[in-house]
Amino acid sequence: MTVASAFEAFREHLDEHHDRRERIIKTNRDVTVASKKVIFLLQRILNERTTDDRALSHRAAAEAKAKLAEIRVLLRNVTHELQGERFWRYASNISGGLQEYIEALSLAHYIEHGRLVSYQEVKEDLRDEAGQPLCPLSVSDYILGVSDLTGELMRLAISSISKPGGRTKASQISSFVRGCKSDFETLTPHIHELRKKQVVTSQSLRKIESAAYTIAIRSSEFELSPEMLDHIMSQMAASGDDRGQPEGAEG
Amino acid sequence: MDPRDLDFINTILEDEARLKESIREHVAELEKKTRVMAGILDRIHSTPRAEIPALLDTVRPVIHSCQAITAALAETIPRDEVWRWKDLWTNTLRTAAFSVVLVYFLADGTLAPLSLVAEELGIKEEWKDRFALTPEDYLHGVITVINELSRLVVNAVTLGDFEAPLRVSVFAKEVFAGFTMLNLKNDLLRRRFDSLKYDIKKIEEVIYDVSLRKLVPPSAVAPGVAP
Repeated sequence: MTVASAFEAFREHLDEHHDRRERIIKTNRDVTVASKKVIFLLQRILNERTTDDRALSHRAAAEAKAKLAEIRVLLRNVTHELQGERFWRYASNISGGLQEYIEALSLAHYIEHGRLVSYQEVKEDLRDEAGQPLCPLSVSDYILGVSDLTGELMRLAISSISKPGGRTKASQISSFVRGCKSDFETLTPHIHELRKKQVVTSQSLRKIESAAYTIAIRSSEFELSPEMLDHIMSQMAASGDDRGQPEGAEG
Repeated sequence: MDPRDLDFINTILEDEARLKESIREHVAELEKKTRVMAGILDRIHSTPRAEIPALLDTVRPVIHSCQAITAALAETIPRDEVWRWKDLWTNTLRTAAFSVVLVYFLADGTLAPLSLVAEELGIKEEWKDRFALTPEDYLHGVITVINELSRLVVNAVTLGDFEAPLRVSVFAKEVFAGFTMLNLKNDLLRRRFDSLKYDIKKIEEVIYDVSLRKLVPPSAVAPGVAP
């Protein structure tokens, strides 16, 4: 084999690698964007006014699941590129999208079941229609994906807090996020980017706690039943008044 | 999180951490070998041409002693995970490849193919999903050889070997031409390839100096270089 022919082979190898990486990066982008849309969708639906919370949650989860199935089709397009030892070569190129997908999946899961989707459940989910795995799931991607869930839950808690039953919901979310934070703390030595995410989780937790505190303080100013307080809070939210002085309140 | 799930995850992570430590230990062993090889090979800059073969004879056993370590690595690394752990050994392996390619050139005057370098280091084809010498690592090793040779021609001439620059020049230009065929992206390989220009230039300058002073007959000068 001559030097020239050896380098021709190297050229082919490198070209193939770069092209493959481009395709995977593009899919990663598409998966990321689509997953973010699912998260927005969930937040939007859950912010709708309703008398039936459970029905709303079910509808939100169902719509999200339909969209998540579409994202799995996107991932299917690069499954063959990620076979065997190739997965780890391009893992960092698909990681972002996978984590975003897992975040969306775990949000839908929490809304429907009130608990954290497990590693095994995510692995089961990441299959195509024939039941074949779409790609390997590293523990790292799973943990980093669900870690971001706490931020979305914070947003959900705060946007719900002024609605009927919102304070209970916020309190539930608060203890859930606290649980996640302490569980993940044990994993930080092993997963590099988890530390930064834990900081964000702490900030989210403080926001929820701060909002819950504000309401607890305000509610003590008026000796109102929780139902009346809920009603006042939702009127406040509707009028956009954040000074906490409802018109015509007794007290 | 369900405590059993947390345990499950912790177990996986701890296993991974242990595996990483194990790989690191093997790589540290390999690193010792490459340092010994690099140390011996550095002497080429002060060794007369006639004594080079004897010097190379002292390096070859060290190269071959890497075979036990690469075998241990192949056994340690799980299937399909070569790219997962590659960063742990990539620099060390590049240096090992460099040593093999340099020794081969000094003995044979030609470029050792990747398959031969892998063979010398005991890296088997069937391990390729666990431990392998990738084209990228091989190419990095080759570039380092050219870097080293551009320094060698200067020192060889100082020691009175006026033909070294010509042999090196033919080799370097052939390798450089090979590299120009590659479509490189803006990565380390690209930047190192760019630096090869300076090595080529340096080698040409030495040839110029040598042929200007008629230290070698004009017919021995590589084509395209003015006597």
